[in-house]
Amino acid sequence: MKKVLIVDDASFMRLSLKTMLESNGFEVAGEAENGYEAIKLYTKLKPDVVTMDITMPELDGIQALKSILELDQKAKIVILSAMGQEARVKEAIISGAKTFIVKPFKEEHLIQTLNKIANM
Amino acid sequence: MSENLDRELMGKETDEREEDTQKGRFLTFNLDKEAYGIEITHVTEIIGIQPVTQVPELPDYIKGIINLRGKIIPVMDVRLRFKKNFREYNDRTCVIVIDIDDLSIGLIVDSVSEVIAIPDTEIVAPPEVGKGGNKYVKGIGKVHSDVILLLDCNRLLNDEDTENLLNI
Amino acid sequence: MAGQFSGEPMLDMYIFETTQNIEQLEMCILDSEKSNCYSQTSINEIFRIMHTIKGSSAMMLFNNISVLAHSIEDLFYYLREQKPENIDYTLLSDHILSGVDFIKVELQKIVDGEKADGNPSEIIEAIKAFLSQIKLKNPYNGSEAKEKQELAEQPRYYITPNKSDININTNAFKAVLFFEAGCEMENIRAFTVIHNIREFSDEVYFYPEDIIDNDESVNVIREQGFKVYFKTQKNYKELDAFFNQTVFLRELELVRLEDDTELKGFLTAKTVKAEENPVVVPRVNSYSAETAEKEMTTGAGQSIISVSITKLDKLMDLVGEMVISEAMVTQNPDLNGLQLDNFMKAAGQLHKVTSDIQDMVMSIRMVPLAMTFQKMHRVVRDMCKKLDKEISLELIGEETEVDKNIIEHISDPLMHLVRNSIDHGIGSAADREAAGKPPAGKITLEAKNSGSDVVILVKDDGKGLNKQKILEKAAQNGLLYKPANEMSDSEIYNLIFLPGFSTKEKVTEFSGRGVGMDVVVRNIESVGGSVSVDSEEGKGSVIALKIPLTLAIIDGMNIQVGSSRYTIPTKAIKESFRPNANDLIKDPDGNEMIMVRGRCYPILRLHQLYKVKTGITRFIDGILIMVEHENKTLCVFADELLGQQVVVKSLPKYIKAKRKVKGLTGCTLLGDGSISLILDIGGLVNI
Repeated sequence: MKKVLIVDDASFMRLSLKTMLESNGFEVAGEAENGYEAIKLYTKLKPDVVTMDITMPELDGIQALKSILELDQKAKIVILSAMGQEARVKEAIISGAKTFIVKPFKEEHLIQTLNKIANM
Repeated sequence: MSENLDRELMGKETDEREEDTQKGRFLTFNLDKEAYGIEITHVTEIIGIQPVTQVPELPDYIKGIINLRGKIIPVMDVRLRFKKNFREYNDRTCVIVIDIDDLSIGLIVDSVSEVIAIPDTEIVAPPEVGKGGNKYVKGIGKVHSDVILLLDCNRLLNDEDTENLLNI
Repeated sequence: MAGQFSGEPMLDMYIFETTQNIEQLEMCILDSEKSNCYSQTSINEIFRIMHTIKGSSAMMLFNNISVLAHSIEDLFYYLREQKPENIDYTLLSDHILSGVDFIKVELQKIVDGEKADGNPSEIIEAIKAFLSQIKLKNPYNGSEAKEKQELAEQPRYYITPNKSDININTNAFKAVLFFEAGCEMENIRAFTVIHNIREFSDEVYFYPEDIIDNDESVNVIREQGFKVYFKTQKNYKELDAFFNQTVFLRELELVRLEDDTELKGFLTAKTVKAEENPVVVPRVNSYSAETAEKEMTTGAGQSIISVSITKLDKLMDLVGEMVISEAMVTQNPDLNGLQLDNFMKAAGQLHKVTSDIQDMVMSIRMVPLAMTFQKMHRVVRDMCKKLDKEISLELIGEETEVDKNIIEHISDPLMHLVRNSIDHGIGSAADREAAGKPPAGKITLEAKNSGSDVVILVKDDGKGLNKQKILEKAAQNGLLYKPANEMSDSEIYNLIFLPGFSTKEKVTEFSGRGVGMDVVVRNIESVGGSVSVDSEEGKGSVIALKIPLTLAIIDGMNIQVGSSRYTIPTKAIKESFRPNANDLIKDPDGNEMIMVRGRCYPILRLHQLYKVKTGITRFIDGILIMVEHENKTLCVFADELLGQQVVVKSLPKYIKAKRKVKGLTGCTLLGDGSISLILDIGGLVNI
C-alpha cells in the first residue's frame, strides 16, 4: 500500500483527503498542518507521496517542498492549489513538485494523480 | 423467540452494510387476531416485557420508560395506540425496540412471530379511510393466504395531528 | 447532501472548521478596527482564512460561500501585496463583516440541513467596487507591475546551456498533448511538461508559447492541444513512457520528425531566441532538517486535538453508566450481611477512580466563556454605529468555564441582554453629559464561579430602572401580583422578567422584535439557571444570570413514593424530617402546611401530584423534604428516603418531544437498575 503524507492547514481538507485516499487503497501515514510539521513528518515517515497545500501558516507549502527535496531529492510531492495561484504553482513545479491538482478537485482526479505519481 | 428470528437479528448486526438483504423483510407480530409487520431495518432488538417506570402526564399509550442495559427508552403499548383494549402483559408479551432517526422506542405487542420477506409486488396500498390502526398502515402485504398490515413507524411516533383530531 | 461526500463527518468538520475560522476572522477584524489599522499579520491571517474557506466550501459545493470568500481573498491579496494607503478601515471592516455575516447565515442553513441558497452577488459587487476604489486611490503600484513583468519575462523557450555541447545523436520530435477536461490550470500543466522535458532536451519549442501570462493559452490548450517540438537523444519508446507519466493526460500524439523542417519552420515563424540560462530558479531556501527540527520542538507540537461533541456526549453517557454500574456492584443486595474487607477496599479504589474519570470527563466538556463573550464586541460595535452611541465593552473572567451544552443556551440570552443595555439602558452622549457622566457608556460582562454555579453579570452604567414606570407598566398589563406598596425594590425590578412586560414603547430594530425579557428567563431556566436584576436609578443596572456548571451529572437524593422513585437535586434540599402531628396545619381551603421553627411552609404530596398509589398518606408515616428554589420554599411529602447518589440526567427524546412534564427534568438509573424521575424544584415551587 502506498503511504501518503497529507499537508494542509485546514482540517477539513485533511479529512477530505484522508477519506478519499483511504477508500482508494492508500495508507495515510501522517498529517501535517504546516510546513515545519511536514518536513519533520517526512523525515520520520518517508511517505511515497506527499500532498502539499500551498497557503499555510508558519512555513508555506513551497518552502516546505524545497526543504523536503533538499533532504530527499526523490521525494514525490503533489501540490494542492486553488484557482488563481498559477504563479505559485509554477514556482512549485520549478522547485521540484511532481505535479499539482486544483481545488476543488474530484476524488477520481486525486486518485488518478496520486496513483500515477506514486508508481513513477 | 424463535431461533430463526435470533439469527435474523444477529445477522443484521454483524452485517450492517448489506442493507439490500434487509430490504423487503419484515418482522411480524400480533395484536388480537391481526398480524402486523415492521421493516426489519428499524428493529434493533426484541426483549421480553420489563418493569416499566411510569411517567406522569403522558398519553396513556406511552406506558413509561424502561432500562435497556443502561439506556432509558420509552415504551409504547401498540394496542392502546390503536385504541384497542388494554390486555394484561404475559410471558408472550414482547417489546420490539425500534430505532428511527436516532430515536429509540419500545413497542409493546402481544407476541412476535417471525421475519418474512414480502416482495413489493405482494404489497398493496391500504384502503383510503379506515378506523383504528389503519392510519398507521402504509401497506398491506400478502403472504400465502395471510394478510399482514405493514406499519409506518414514522407515523406511529410522530402522528400528532391525527391524534389531536381524534381527541376532539 | 450536496457534493461528492455522503459522509456526515466531512460536513461536520467543514462546519466546525469554517465556524472556527469565521469567529477568528471576526475577532481579527474587530481588533484591527479598534486600533484603526490592519496590521500585516492580520491581513495575512484574513487572507489565509478566506483562502481556506474558499477551498473547503468549493469542495463541499457551497459555491456561493466559495465565491464570496474568493472576492474577500482577492481584496486582501491586494492589501497584502500592495500595501496601499488611504484606506477607509471602517468601510473595509463593514465590507468584510457583511461577508462574514453572509457566511454565518449560510452556515446556519447548512447546520439546519437546509440549502445554502443565499445570493452573495451584492456583497461581492460592493467588495469589488471597494477594491477598485482603493486601486484608484493608489494608482502607482510598483510590485504588481513588477510581478507582471516578472511573469512576462518568463522565457518561452528553454535551452539548458550546460547540456548543449553533447548533442550528437539527437532526434527531433513533435508531441501534442491533450489534458483531461476539468483538470484545471492546463497552462501550468503544460509548463510542468516543458519543465520536465528540459531534463533531457536542450532544444524545446512549444505552442501556445505564452503559457504562463496569457489566460487565453488555457483555452488554446484545451481546444487544440499543447504542441511541443524538441530534440533529444532519447528514443521514441522512452519518450512515450515519459509523456504517459503526465498526470491528466487524455491524449498524446508523439511523432518523430524525419528532419528539422517542421521544427525549423516553427522556429522561424516565432523568432524569439532562447535566452541564456533563462529560468530564474528561486534560490532554494535552506531549511535544513536540523533547524526545522529545532523549530518544531519549540513551536507547533500538536498538543491539542479536536473531538466531535457527539463523541464527548457518548463518553459522558458511558461514564454515567459506569457510575451506575459501580453502584450496582458495590451496593448489590447479594453482598448484604457479608464480611468483605478486601472487597470493600477494592471497591473504594474503584469508586475513587470512577469519580476521577467522571471529573475528568466533565472538565473536558468545559469550555471557557471567552468565545461567547467575544461575540458581544460585534454586537456592541454594530449597535453603537446604528444608534450613534459610544459604548465600551469590558470583559471580566472570560476564562470561566461552563459545560459546552450550556454555553449554547446562554449565547442568545446574553446577546439580548447586551442589546437591551445599549438600547434602553445607556442613553445618548448628550443625555449622559447632562447627567454628569462621561459621554461614553460602558457595559461590563463579568463571569465568576460561585459554588456549583457560574454567575454572569451584565452591568451597564446607564439610566437604571425606573421603579415608578415599571409599576405603572406592570399595573397596565395586569402583572401586579400584590399591592405596589408591599413590594420590595428587588420584587419591583424583577417584574420586568414577567411575560408580557416591556417598558419600552418604541420597538427598535435591535432589542424590540416583540421579544421580551421573559424569553431570556425562559432560556436560562431551560438550563436550570435563574435570572435576577438589580438597579440604581441614574447609576445603572446589573442583570445576574446564575447557571449551573453542568447539566449532565448532579448529586441527588433518591426518595420513594409507592413503587415510584424520584430524585431531588441535593443542592435544592435544605433538610428532611419526620413531621410532628402538632406542627401540621390545614387552612380552610384545604391547603396543607407545616410549621417549622415558627415559619409556615406549604406541603406538596407527590403521590397526589403524580397520581401514584401508596399506602403512606399520613404525614407522620412518611417524610418531608424541605426544598428551596430562589427563596421559595416547599416541603415535599414522600414515603421514605433512599439515599444519596450521583445521577446522570436524561429523558428520552421522544418523551421530551411529547410533553414537558410539570416538575420533572429528567430521569436516571439507580444502583439497582430501576429508573428514578428527577424532580425540577424550580417547577414544583411554582405549581
